Amino acid sequence: MKDNRLTAKEMAQFVASGYLKFEDMVPEDLCNACLEEMRQNSRGYLAVGTPFEDTWPKGTALGDTFRLPQVQGLIHSLVGSDPLYDHHAAHLVKARQMRGADMHQDSVIDFRENYFDIQLSLFPTDTPDEMGGTFLIPGSQYRNVRTSEIGIYHHMRGKIWATCPAGTMYVWNTRVWHGARSNHTDQDRYMYKLRLNPTQPQVRNFDTADLDDPEIGQILSTNHGWEGNEHRYELMQRVKLWRFVSDQPDYDVGERFMRRIEYQPSKSVA
Amino acid sequence: MPAVQDILVLFQTTPALDSNAVAWAHYNASQGTGVHDFVEESEPPYKNAMEAMRDGWQVIQMSELKHRSNDDGYELGPLPYQTVLAKFNELQQEEESSS
Repeated sequence: MKDNRLTAKEMAQFVASGYLKFEDMVPEDLCNACLEEMRQNSRGYLAVGTPFEDTWPKGTALGDTFRLPQVQGLIHSLVGSDPLYDHHAAHLVKARQMRGADMHQDSVIDFRENYFDIQLSLFPTDTPDEMGGTFLIPGSQYRNVRTSEIGIYHHMRGKIWATCPAGTMYVWNTRVWHGARSNHTDQDRYMYKLRLNPTQPQVRNFDTADLDDPEIGQILSTNHGWEGNEHRYELMQRVKLWRFVSDQPDYDVGERFMRRIEYQPSKSVA
Repeated sequence: MPAVQDILVLFQTTPALDSNAVAWAHYNASQGTGVHDFVEESEPPYKNAMEAMRDGWQVIQMSELKHRSNDDGYELGPLPYQTVLAKFNELQQEEESSS
């Protein structure tokens, strides 16, 4: 497990941008077998909120994929051991199927602090730009919105989308704004999504060997292009989550904006 | 064909008309009733509302500053400000959706 965990810098990138991308995560033969299973059984619910290991099917390609050591290391880094199964779906955009703007946040609004669910997205075939891989708005995971009301944002600075070889896996905070895109090719486009919940505080589950790397402050301060005047307020949310996951309750960066909330000498006198 | 209203919404992080657009939306009623084949745009059509105004767009709504309190001063939600612009264009036949 240790060798497959995220580094502290990767974890900081997840905290700042809400997603990570890993190419070559799933071997080609397993991808092909997953694709067949997706075609046969597109979506549905298993027993929501039950232990993933007990609930997730065994002896299937998709069962094996999410139990690969590299995938298990990724899952452990973010939600710890013994996560719960929450939701899955094989997302299909058929050949030549056109889509609108489609920006949304999954599930329902979620105010939980010091907590996040993860979603793993597997692209089992090569997904070039014209095939319409899922788009994401990096850094949008701290914004409280109701599901599809953000469809009003047709375009947004900083938007990225999955353009990747077969076997690529994205992992992302469930709250990241995202959507599907038009498929201009003659091939159906599949993406398999699995959502997991933690069962324990998400603290130091990643490899902390590089926890003191000064680059972490720069990573947390990433400007994705859309933040504008809101960047400082975004940074405060990232710092709060970084404090929690890294177990550094006094961590701050740059001008230390959290002091505007926390530095109150009058309270310490009392 | 008659001229009908097209709408361009620029979303900003300050309410000023010279504030940079960070998100945007087109509602071109002259072309149809929805977007069937969405084309990605990495840059807004105008850097800000004033540039759009110089191209003939009329501002029909601009945002007010928000009052902030201890309870919600740090809260993050939708992008906070928007400018709605309108222009009249000739009505076109709507294309059928392929999806």
